[in-house]
Amino acid sequence: MGKKTIMVVDDNPDFRFTMGLFLERSGFEVITAEDGKTGWEKIQQRTPDLVLLDVMMENLFSGFELCRQIRNNHLFKNLPIIGISAMAEEVGVSFNQETDQEYFSPNMFIDKPVDKELLLKSISDLLKSN
Amino acid sequence: MSSPLAQAAHPISQNLDVLLELSFKSVLDSLPCYVSILDTGYQFIFSNQTIRNDFGEPAGRTCHGLLKGYAKPCTKCLVADTYQDKQIHIGEGSLKLATGEINQIIICTAPLIGIMGNVMAVIKIAINITKIKEAHKELIILGESMALLSHDIKNILEGLQGGAYVVEEGIKDNDMTLAGKGWRIVKKNIFEITRVAQNILYSSKKREPEMRMVNPALVVRDVIGLFQEKAGSMGIQLVFEINPKLPVVKMDQSGIVRMLGNLVWNAIEACRKSDDNNTGMVYIRADYFNKQQYMFEVEDNGKGMDDKTKQNLFREFFTTKGNSGTGLGLIVVDRIVRQHKGRIDVLSKIGVGSLFRVVLSLQ
Repeated sequence: MGKKTIMVVDDNPDFRFTMGLFLERSGFEVITAEDGKTGWEKIQQRTPDLVLLDVMMENLFSGFELCRQIRNNHLFKNLPIIGISAMAEEVGVSFNQETDQEYFSPNMFIDKPVDKELLLKSISDLLKSN
Repeated sequence: MSSPLAQAAHPISQNLDVLLELSFKSVLDSLPCYVSILDTGYQFIFSNQTIRNDFGEPAGRTCHGLLKGYAKPCTKCLVADTYQDKQIHIGEGSLKLATGEINQIIICTAPLIGIMGNVMAVIKIAINITKIKEAHKELIILGESMALLSHDIKNILEGLQGGAYVVEEGIKDNDMTLAGKGWRIVKKNIFEITRVAQNILYSSKKREPEMRMVNPALVVRDVIGLFQEKAGSMGIQLVFEINPKLPVVKMDQSGIVRMLGNLVWNAIEACRKSDDNNTGMVYIRADYFNKQQYMFEVEDNGKGMDDKTKQNLFREFFTTKGNSGTGLGLIVVDRIVRQHKGRIDVLSKIGVGSLFRVVLSLQ
């Protein structure tokens, strides 16, 4: 079985580099994108198995927007997405899968700084269930 | 407790009414709130000492005339409401003291009902809640700031953790280029956390400014020294233009360095994010503004700001930097400029750049 491909979408180049290295060394193929627009283009070209998405990017085409675009597309709507941010708990950016479905619906949400073990377990669970 | 009979037998009870009146008056006078009794024309029948202290003599004056400086009654008047419906009314408002200071107040009006059931007069009590309002605002800001600082610090932790991971992997593989790359990320985040910590210090009220005589040129050179290398590594040029004739002036040097540093850092970020291909340029100037004032200017040819961003600039924790800013920087700028009794002018145009000018007194 070939390597699974994970796309890392984050506007911080350091995060893309460090997370990319970690995922590669954990046995994944990695594609990166610096904003939602590039992310969407690359998703259509490469069809990753999972997307790791920063939801607090500066660009207008933010993580929320990319997520909506993925969910509204019949080809990609089931693509597993892990939302990442450092804001989740503090300002109440918590998502209700039922009421926020239209707005933003990652399969799960991980806080920064990312717990690497939790991340690998979550990726593995999501890839299996998909 | 003695019985009513025993009280009646006591010699003091004969003068009880007089005593009560005197003590009521003395209590009313010393209450830390404004107590008045107003007639149907809103003229003072009674006013306590606190009103007289803060607004002057009310005899022959109206409530709106003395407390607000109005010729006509206020459009929304709780005293009028109480006269009309004989009910107690509570509301909030503001008052300008004789010193010019604006105070937030909570007002309560109650009817004094005569034997015929008519309202003979209205008693009005106004309590100064300015300090409570300020404390309330500070608490809200504190709550928001804790949340957003936590966000910023968690991002920095992510950078430190990620950088450290890359260093470890580099050492494991004996790949020093990789380790060096990780180390640069670690160092960058140490710089970031230092900046955040300093801004927290300067945005808190605890720090007292240390005023002494300093040449503004020295301050500009300090700031250039702090950012030259960092800007260079991003391909951004820092240019300084100092009028050598500027005299030494009284200032809180480390505060002014922090203030200019925050402006320069914002300018560098604006250049970094600019879409055009021009070389990023940041100009830092110190010159006379006029005979009594001098100025610092920080100008960039970065991405510029729209009107909404300009309006929100000095609001606490407003940031356009997504993950990379708390919005504390300009609050610190604003606070330091106010400490120096100066002002900030902002000129900006999308796609052209921004200019921040801080004007300070030479005295």
